[in-house]
Amino acid sequence: MAAILDFAQIVGKRNTITAPSELRTYECDGLAGFRVRPAVVVLPETTEQVAAAVKLARSLGMPIVPRGAGTGLSGGALPVDGCVVIGLARMTKILAIDLENRRMRVQPGVINLDISRRLAPLGYYYAPDPSSQSVCTIGGNVAENSGGAHCLKYGFTVNHAVGATIVTSDGDVVTLGAQSGEPDSLGYDLMGVLVGSEGLLGIVTEVVVKILRRPQATRTIFATFPSTDEASGAVSSIIASGIVPAAIEMMDKLAIEAIVAATHVDWPLDVGAALLMDVDGVSAEVEDTAAAASALIEAAGAIEMRTPHDEVERGLMWKGRKAAFAAVGRISPNYYVQDGVIPRKDVAAVLREITRLGNEAGLRVANVFHAGDGNLHPLVLYDARIPGQEAKAEHVGGEILRVCLKYGGSVTGEHGVGRDKACYLGEQFSGDDLATMQMVRSAFDPYGVLNPDKLFPTPRLCGDKPGAYTAHPVEISGQAGRG
Amino acid sequence: MMVAGVEPRTLVEPQSVDELTDRVRELYARETPFAFIGGGTEMELGNLPRALDTLVRTTACTGVIDYAPEDQTITVEAGMTIAAVSDVLARERQFLAIDAPDPERATVGGAIATNLSGPRRLRYGGIKDTIVGVEIVRPDGVRARGGGKVVKNVAGFDIPKLMVGSLGTLGAIVGATFRVFPVAERRAALMYAVLTVDQMMSLCAELIGAALVPAAVTGFACAKRGRYDVVVTFEGFARGVEEQMTTAAAIAVRLGVDAEALPDDALAAQGKRERALRRGANWHLTVCAPPTALAHFVATTPFADDVRHAVDPLLGTGYFAAAEFDVATVAAWRTALGGGSAVVNALPAQARRGLDSWGEPPKAALAIMRRLKATFDPKGLCNAGRFVGGL
Repeated sequence: MAAILDFAQIVGKRNTITAPSELRTYECDGLAGFRVRPAVVVLPETTEQVAAAVKLARSLGMPIVPRGAGTGLSGGALPVDGCVVIGLARMTKILAIDLENRRMRVQPGVINLDISRRLAPLGYYYAPDPSSQSVCTIGGNVAENSGGAHCLKYGFTVNHAVGATIVTSDGDVVTLGAQSGEPDSLGYDLMGVLVGSEGLLGIVTEVVVKILRRPQATRTIFATFPSTDEASGAVSSIIASGIVPAAIEMMDKLAIEAIVAATHVDWPLDVGAALLMDVDGVSAEVEDTAAAASALIEAAGAIEMRTPHDEVERGLMWKGRKAAFAAVGRISPNYYVQDGVIPRKDVAAVLREITRLGNEAGLRVANVFHAGDGNLHPLVLYDARIPGQEAKAEHVGGEILRVCLKYGGSVTGEHGVGRDKACYLGEQFSGDDLATMQMVRSAFDPYGVLNPDKLFPTPRLCGDKPGAYTAHPVEISGQAGRG
Repeated sequence: MMVAGVEPRTLVEPQSVDELTDRVRELYARETPFAFIGGGTEMELGNLPRALDTLVRTTACTGVIDYAPEDQTITVEAGMTIAAVSDVLARERQFLAIDAPDPERATVGGAIATNLSGPRRLRYGGIKDTIVGVEIVRPDGVRARGGGKVVKNVAGFDIPKLMVGSLGTLGAIVGATFRVFPVAERRAALMYAVLTVDQMMSLCAELIGAALVPAAVTGFACAKRGRYDVVVTFEGFARGVEEQMTTAAAIAVRLGVDAEALPDDALAAQGKRERALRRGANWHLTVCAPPTALAHFVATTPFADDVRHAVDPLLGTGYFAAAEFDVATVAAWRTALGGGSAVVNALPAQARRGLDSWGEPPKAALAIMRRLKATFDPKGLCNAGRFVGGL
C-alpha cells in the first residue's frame, strides 16, 4: 500500500487508479480474451512524471506495461501480474506545428485523427490512418507501427514518426531520431527500431511526425464483382499498370452484408466482392488514373461501378469500410479478428484456402482487407455459446497465419504480435533471428521489465507449441544465466 | 584499398554468403579485427578504425533471390551493384529508389550501410522507407533475418531499419528486400535561374502550397555567390507532369524569376550531379539539417571560393566538395547548423588528425548505441572505432 501512495505522490491521487472496479478497465486492450488485473494504473501528464514512475516501479521490482488508448488488437497492452500500467492517454498536448519544415511535435496521448483535424484548416494532414484513428493515440501508433488503408501509397507510422522522446527502463529521458525536420540523425536508427517495438524498448512521451500537404484532388471508386477472384484480378491489373492508388480495399460477400446491416450504406447484397479505392494527387493525374483504373476494373469483370457525388457520400463509403470489424458483430455473436500478410499476387489463391479452412471447421469467414499491400483481415465468425466453437475459431485463425507464412508472408501487417501472436513469431523467424531481436531489446532494457511476456515466444507462453526458445535479455547481455 | 585511412593486412573475397558467414565466424573466433567492403565508393567515410586486419569483400555475392514484379518487391544478395539491380528491374519497367552517385560500383549492401540518399528521396523516400527485409551476418558469424518479403509487416523488431546507416558495425549486410516503383511514363524538369536563398525557399513554399508533387528539387550553387540554379523535376503520368510543369512555370512568373524546361540530355545528366560535384575535390561533406536551418546555413556561411555545393532544400540535405578544407571549418559548420549534422565523406589522409568525421550525437542516445554495439560485437572486432562516437 505504501508503494501505491508513492505513485500517487508522483502523478497525483486523481491520476492513480487502485480501486478494483476502476482497474477492470485496464485488464485488457482490444483483445478482450486475455485479462490480467494490474496492481496499479498511473496516468502521468508529463515526461518527468513518466520517468519518476518508471524509477519507482524499478525500485519496487514491478514490471511496467505502457498503454495508449487500449485499442490494440494483439494484447500489446495486456497487464502482467503485479505490474504498473503507465497510461499515456492524458498526455494530449500538441506541442508544436512547424509548417515550414512540415513537422509536428505531439504528446503520445494525442488521438491520431486529432492531428489531421488540427491541420485541416492549414491544408495539411497526417497520413497513417488506422481504422481506429478516431480513438487510438499516436503513442500507441508508434508502439505498433500502425498502418491503415492509405498506407499503400504513403507508408506506415515508421515512415512518418521520425523522432521521439522516450523514457527508458532505467527512467532515463532520451531523444531519438530527427527532432526538427532534418532527414536523418547521427548513428544507429534507434527511432526506426523503436517504431513497432510494442512497448518493449521505451515509453514514448513525445513524438515528432511528418505532416503532408493535402493533395489537389482525390477520386474514390466503389466497384462490385461476382467474386473475390475478379476483384483480385482488378487489383493486380491496376497495380501492374503503374498506378499507385492511395488506398485499395476489398470486402467479400459476408463483409458487405455486415457493413450494410450496420451502417445502412446502399451497397448491393447480391455480389461476391467489392473494392473501395482512392486515387489522389495532382488534378490531371487523378482524372487520368481514375479513368484508367475504371477501365481496368470493368475489364476485370466488374458488375457495377460507382463514384461518390460529393464529400459526404465519399465519407459514408469510407465509414462503411472502417466500421467493418464492428459491423461483423451484427451478423455473428462473436468473431475472431485475424491480421496476416501475403504477396499481393497470391490474394485470390489464399482467399480460397481461407474459405476451405472455414468450411472444414464449419465456420463462416468474412474478409475485409487492404488488397493493395496483401494485408488480409479474415474475421472468423463463431458463437461462443456453442461448446467448442471458440476453440475452432482460434484454430482456424492460427491456420490462416500458417497459410500466410506458406506463401512467404507475415503473421501480422499492422495489429502487432503482442501476447496474441508471440507463439507464431517463432514460426516466422528462426531462433537466431529472434535472438538478434532480443539483443536489441537488451541494449534498451537489459532486465526485460518493459512490457514483459509480449512479442517473444517463450516456453512459459507457448508451452510445447512451436516457437523456438529465445534467451531472456539478461542472459544475452551477460548479466544472468539460466540453468 | 584503404579503409578510413588504414590499410588492411588481408583482403578476402568469399564466393557465397555461406562462405562469407564461415569467414566471419572464423575471424571472430580468432579475435581478428575485420571490416566489410562492397564497391568501395565510401571507404574514406568514418573515423580511423581502432584495429583492422582483414577486409571482407561482398561483391561476389550477386544473386537475385526473388523478384516479384506484381508485388513490386525484389530480394537480392547485397554484393549486387545498384546498376545491376536496376537492369533487372528495368525489364519490368520498375526501378529501385536509390540515387547512388556511382551505381556501377556501389553495392546494395554498401548503400544500406552508408544510408545512401539522393534527390528523389523527396518523392520516393530514403532507403529506410523502401527496405522491407534484411539478412545479416552478425559479427559473431551468426546469420539472421529481419523484416520479410512483403511490403507490410510488423512482425518483430525492425532490424532492416537498424542496419540502414550502421556502416557494417553490427555485421555484414548480405541480402535485402526492397519495395520498388513503376518507371514513370513522363519525366520533365524546370530550371529556375540564379535564385537567392530566399527566392529558393519561396519557390519551395509555392510548390508545396500548390500541392505539386515534385520528384526532386535541387539547388546548384552558381558561380555568382549566394545564388542557385534550382531544378525541379516531375515524374508520373504524362498529363499530371504537364500540368505540374505549367503550374511550376506560373510560379516562376509570380516570383519574378526566369525558368525554362530542361532539355532531355540535361535531365538525364541529373543523376550524375553528385559525381560531377565531387570530381577533383579531396574533401566531400554531407550536411543534414531542417530545411529552414539549411537555408539559413547556406545564406550566412562565408564559403571559400573553391567550395562547390548543391542543396536539396525541401529535404534538408546539402552536398559540399572542396580541394582545401580544415578541421576548424568543419567545427564552425557544425556549430552553425545547431541540431543538424555535417558528415565528412572523404578527406585527405593527412587531415584526419583531430577530426571527428561525424560530429556528436545526443549523449543519452549514444549510450544506447554503445550498448547495442557491445551486445552485437562484445569483442569489438567488427569495423571498430570507425562509426559515430567511436563505435
